[in-house]
Amino acid sequence: MARVQLENVTKRYEDVTAVDDVNMEIEDGEFVTFVGPSGCGKSTTMETVAGLTRPTEGRVYIGDDDVTNLAPKDRGVAMVFQNIALFPHMDVFENISFGLRLRTYDDEEIQRRVEQAADIVQLEGMLDRMPDEMSGGQRQRVAIARAIVRNPDVFLMDEPLANLDAKLRVHMRTELQRLHRELGTTIIYVTHDQAEAMTMSDRIAVLNAGKLQQIAPPLECYNQPANLFVAGFIGSPSMNFAEGTLDETGLATANFHVEFDPGLVPGASVGDELTLGIRPEDVHLSTDADALAETTAPIDARSDVLEPMGDEIFVYLLLSEGAERSMEEDPASSADQLLMSVTPDTDIAENRSVDVVLDRSNIHLFETASGEALVHGLTDRSEQEPGTTATEADS
Amino acid sequence: MTNETPPDDRHGAGERTPSDGETETVDADDVPAHWTRARRMPDGGRTEDRGHDTLLGESGDDAELDRGPFERWVANAIKNPERAYRAMFYTATVFFLVTTLFPFYWLLMVALTPEGQQQDIILTPNGFNPSAFIEVFQVLPFHWYVFNSFVIATASTIVVLIIASLAGYAFGRLEFPGKVPMMMLVLVISFFPPAAFFIPLNDLFNTSFFALEPITGDGTLYNTPGAMVLPLSAIFMPLAIFILTTFYSQIPEGLEDAARVEGTTRLGALFRVIIPLSAPGVATAGVLTFIAVYNEFFFSFLMTDGQPENWAPILEGILGYQGQYEVMYHLMAASSIIGVIPVAILVIVAQEKIVSGLTAGALKE
Repeated sequence: MARVQLENVTKRYEDVTAVDDVNMEIEDGEFVTFVGPSGCGKSTTMETVAGLTRPTEGRVYIGDDDVTNLAPKDRGVAMVFQNIALFPHMDVFENISFGLRLRTYDDEEIQRRVEQAADIVQLEGMLDRMPDEMSGGQRQRVAIARAIVRNPDVFLMDEPLANLDAKLRVHMRTELQRLHRELGTTIIYVTHDQAEAMTMSDRIAVLNAGKLQQIAPPLECYNQPANLFVAGFIGSPSMNFAEGTLDETGLATANFHVEFDPGLVPGASVGDELTLGIRPEDVHLSTDADALAETTAPIDARSDVLEPMGDEIFVYLLLSEGAERSMEEDPASSADQLLMSVTPDTDIAENRSVDVVLDRSNIHLFETASGEALVHGLTDRSEQEPGTTATEADS
Repeated sequence: MTNETPPDDRHGAGERTPSDGETETVDADDVPAHWTRARRMPDGGRTEDRGHDTLLGESGDDAELDRGPFERWVANAIKNPERAYRAMFYTATVFFLVTTLFPFYWLLMVALTPEGQQQDIILTPNGFNPSAFIEVFQVLPFHWYVFNSFVIATASTIVVLIIASLAGYAFGRLEFPGKVPMMMLVLVISFFPPAAFFIPLNDLFNTSFFALEPITGDGTLYNTPGAMVLPLSAIFMPLAIFILTTFYSQIPEGLEDAARVEGTTRLGALFRVIIPLSAPGVATAGVLTFIAVYNEFFFSFLMTDGQPENWAPILEGILGYQGQYEVMYHLMAASSIIGVIPVAILVIVAQEKIVSGLTAGALKE
């Protein structure tokens, strides 16, 4: 039993609230990733689970036990740290067996378990090495072995791959997934790298400014973001946003008009300020739009800069005549710009006038003021529910 | 402006027309006269404003200065400062070695000189009497004094290291209100002259406490190691606290967190991870404390009655060779040399520890 539950967890330092009233329930054996920008409170949230930080308010449960006031050593958790944190004065065997030697295990049992753990992370024959004689990836594997050797109820991983080079990071990512499949232990994983979050987790918990924004499976966060923050944070490059006003015929933004029945948008009325969100891959050239079921009316645009990525091309579109490409803002969030992703064989060049259409089934509408998602998909047939924390969709 | 062309007009008239009064001559190589000088200079250097055709240095300007050896040395040192630094290093080292080692040499000479011939010892002993090193143990139980000092210094070092480790951990790794004022207080107290504490402490240690009776017999601390360990630990504590605070604060946070998650308490992490990784700092603080207590005079002299069975330290032993009518200088010298040996061994051993700790490599954050 290793369900983890956070109940109204709040952590305040003198003048900052690092974690603000976070509630979540993590099932036994689940792989949950905390993701968010730097300083969003994801590491602090994990530390409250580890016991390294005591929450100012709220309770933490592991299994059925309230562990809020227990010391880290009594919680049945193991942790892998961003800076690896191997004890430099101990060799690999001593590092892995550190936790076992603090408990009442006999030497044979320790030997057996260390060898088993070393076997899982493929460290055989390296048990007498010192940490400074090993490469970054090997050290990381020692840290993982140190965590698994105690058979903990919950693994906590605080950006364990952040200090590794890109190639090794991808490799360790699959290793961790394999490990999770083999051990079946609950894993809480903290990262700011959304690729890690998307690929590894059963569910993603997106945090911002200490608040939990959405906790859902990766694809749900991607396809049905609960609010503007999640929509902008998940996905790379990020979603295009255009602010506008709801009128009787649809949404009028500064540069284009999207027609739809305002009744499709639950909880919104004519005159409301809404933000339209559309992912780069859901913007299409009007010439390529035949395959799509429903699209918006063509939007005049001019291609500005092309970014060929190999498998796709990112096209920066300028929507209004004379608009300058903004140097300061994220291009996707500027009202006059639209980022489009097209296949490499598309006939497109810089500085050309093009007509683009938006795939109606993947248009997201958010309430501008609160950022809450109102509807995902603007087709009449659309039965899609908005994200779980969105406003009353079924009213 | 004349339109006169030079004799050899291969360059074209307009290009090579000299102005009035500046008739340029062109030599056989077809090079203007003012270029030839430049050609002769290896650096192609400046020729203008130079009345003569010599290079700097060729003129013998420097050689004309008749420099003495010291001036030459100074010029050399400015050009090549490494030499000056090396010279300073050797000077300082020789000075230091002479001032520290010569007294020992002289002590040895005094010790080797037979009794009654101590006058006029300059560089060699007047006679040869190595039996003084045996005699010191026959006249007085000198080994007993050495043992007492060793116990007192060891006990004080242990007390200092334990308490200063806890203080250093708190000051170095925790945030709490009043941290800076408390560190200041420790610093200020360390500036007090130890003598200021002597009279009240002596009074206190001569007071009988019922609770101490099973341990000391008469219930007082006078004539026990406690009478020296307690004040000396307190006096040498602040230095150790500052050394350990610095070392402990540099151990990465992650290592302590890792130890705590793995199963230690904060205190366990201190003793299993932070202290082993701060070995050089702990060794430094320990050695400094040990030597300071071992060498201490004031409390050691006054907190016992001078009898070896009453924990009198080595100092009392050395002074014990001084009688009312006779001072056995050769025995005092010999016992002083013997007394230095434990400290010398400790420094040699600890020095290796410190060096090995430092070369073990920086911690990877």
